[in-house]
Amino acid sequence: MGIHINGIGVVGGFGAGVAELISCLEKGTINLKESPSGSPGDYASSVYLACTACLENFVQKRALRRIDHFSQMALLGAYLALQDAGSPSLTEKRTGLVVCSGYGASQTTFSFLDSIINDGDACASPTMFSNSVHNSAAGHISISLKLDGPCLTVSQFEMSVPSALLSACMWLNEHRVDQVLFGAVDEYCDVLGYCWQRFFGEGNSGSMTPLSQDRQSAIPGEGSAFFLLSKDRSPSGYGVIADVDMGRLDDKGISPSEDTIFIVGADGHKCCDRLYDDFMPPGAEAACYSPIYGSLPIGTAFDMAIAALSIRERRIFASPETVSDQAKYMIIKEASRIAPTSITCLKLARDSGFGTITLANG
Amino acid sequence: MKQNAPVAITGIGCLSAAGMSLKDNMASLFAGKRHVAPPERFFSSHPVSYPVFEINEDPPPERNKDENFTRTCRLGLAATNEALLDAGLESQGMTGLKAGVCVGTTVGSTMNNEEFYRDYRRGMHPDMTIIETFLKGNPAAVIARELGLSGPCQTVVNACSSGTDAIGIGASWIRSGICDIVIAGGADELCRVTYNGFISLMISDDSPCRPFDRDRKGLNLGEGAGMLILESDNFIRKRKKPPRAFVLGYGSGCDGYHLTAPHPDGKGLKNALAYAIKESGKTINDIAFINTHGTATKDNDRTEVRVLREMLPDILFLSTKGYTGHTLGAAGAIEAAFTIACLETGMIPANAGFITPDPELGASPVTLNTHISKKIAISDSLAFGGHNAALVLGIERC
Repeated sequence: MGIHINGIGVVGGFGAGVAELISCLEKGTINLKESPSGSPGDYASSVYLACTACLENFVQKRALRRIDHFSQMALLGAYLALQDAGSPSLTEKRTGLVVCSGYGASQTTFSFLDSIINDGDACASPTMFSNSVHNSAAGHISISLKLDGPCLTVSQFEMSVPSALLSACMWLNEHRVDQVLFGAVDEYCDVLGYCWQRFFGEGNSGSMTPLSQDRQSAIPGEGSAFFLLSKDRSPSGYGVIADVDMGRLDDKGISPSEDTIFIVGADGHKCCDRLYDDFMPPGAEAACYSPIYGSLPIGTAFDMAIAALSIRERRIFASPETVSDQAKYMIIKEASRIAPTSITCLKLARDSGFGTITLANG
Repeated sequence: MKQNAPVAITGIGCLSAAGMSLKDNMASLFAGKRHVAPPERFFSSHPVSYPVFEINEDPPPERNKDENFTRTCRLGLAATNEALLDAGLESQGMTGLKAGVCVGTTVGSTMNNEEFYRDYRRGMHPDMTIIETFLKGNPAAVIARELGLSGPCQTVVNACSSGTDAIGIGASWIRSGICDIVIAGGADELCRVTYNGFISLMISDDSPCRPFDRDRKGLNLGEGAGMLILESDNFIRKRKKPPRAFVLGYGSGCDGYHLTAPHPDGKGLKNALAYAIKESGKTINDIAFINTHGTATKDNDRTEVRVLREMLPDILFLSTKGYTGHTLGAAGAIEAAFTIACLETGMIPANAGFITPDPELGASPVTLNTHISKKIAISDSLAFGGHNAALVLGIERC
């Protein structure tokens, strides 16, 4: 496959940009109470909320007035990825845009329903409607960056990231484009929090303890992670995407290279976290970083960013202290200065779906 | 397969207000029948009734009777079953193959259930099975799960170009070798929320839509699904199934201009068409006709004809939305199915709803059922977000 990662932009409860992500990885925790966006909402005890204030460094405040939080998170991720890549030209090269999301612009979707319920069918808000479609984030990014190449938005719940990345890599491999701005975004809203409460109980006011077999500890998160990808080697040092795979575990197992280190996408949902015990290769080494970014469908994109940072920094970050070590495989609990040759991000879903993204030195 | 190799289509399934199968749809199109009426499945308090193209028959029941699927998924499964039957593929025979699913949708991926949300707002205890049905209702995942497929799975949500994009992406999966078979297409149901959304944008017509007509006032929504079975050459050789048609080229381009209005010069559409034609290795002289997006909104039709006059002058064009309504994420797939059926029969239907030429457009669609002799055609789509996509389809490999 050999797709190079030239730049990364991340936004989440940990902050904005790779430096803030690294800082939280080194600390092994983030303080949710310091979340700059304020109230976590009525239904969740804690939420990993993302702040997009620094988007004003890239886009005029006036232009942001009609862009909702969902698309602002995506825009900020996109601009940070381009900045991290050295602000390359987007017009001299054929640039594709691939965005994915598990739930889309949730808050705006419900705000549009509010306009119908409050004021009647004839007073539905056209602005809310046009911003509620799943590809609104891609639309805003293409407008802001003046992109005119191929564009794709994918929604596949927890498998959104591997599914969309597959197409992004394919566009590069078939030379449809020279570079792809690839990203993932999901937002928290009160209705989502309510659904969590109904499905999982009163919520977790403590810490996420992924991989503990008997505790539902997921805390909702939101944010975006964007990557500038190309076939050209870059000085970024983030390595290459060596493989992307997805499918169903009942038909084919995962078959990683023997020396790969795993980042498992366990995020405190005990029904899914248990699956990793069943399908991880025995003796494998794995880290888990969801306590840094929370539980959200596109969490794999943050794992991919952390994998790329590990390759660049030639070190493995320790899993946060709260990650359970009850797993049947080895959980990496201490940071090490071992340069990884290969890192596989693994996501398992309740419906037996799996997705893997393997990064390698390149 | 070579990078630009034609990708074989061995089966087609399609349902819309014009019919419950591709054959029924084509019969309606060539007979000029339009099944358009005020919505029956939901209520609206608009003082004016905006007609829709609604499927009045229930989609066939799903295979797994224990699952409660969304209407979008049921439509998608019905089109898939027709396509598999057409391709001579039994579902059991697909287990173990590298078989992927790529489906476009809009409503099918949106958590906007009004009943649930009204109860939530009232502080009641809304029925969570609605949310569970949504969470189990990702259209591509449902089709993969129902058929026991193990390959890649992708729900494309590029708004109204989703069905076209899904077929183009599915073709890439075949060419790259990651799949032997791909079920590719689109599915979408009529929905009160979307109905209100399009009316709020003032791009819905309160009478049957009139694509490309001088007096057009906007679109009518519709619902349906279209699915194509794409196969690799190796797999076709093994099972000795003659292809029905080919995906020859696919292009995509964004306008980077406005969230709901197309670029006045059709920047993204031009890029999409140019790439699709280049990938096909064909010239405009090979093209029999263009099955346009043709929604009947002022902006869409103006932009689309401007681009066609510039890039594909004097080539016959039509919109089939006068027969199906705008089926959103399904539209591109249904129209790809129609395009292939037209190439096979050597005829294209009259553009329903068109009466008066629009001098501003400077070109008109076909007004009668018209014979064609060439073997290649284009189907294109324009979408919210400024997305555009085009497919070059043919019934001969070269």
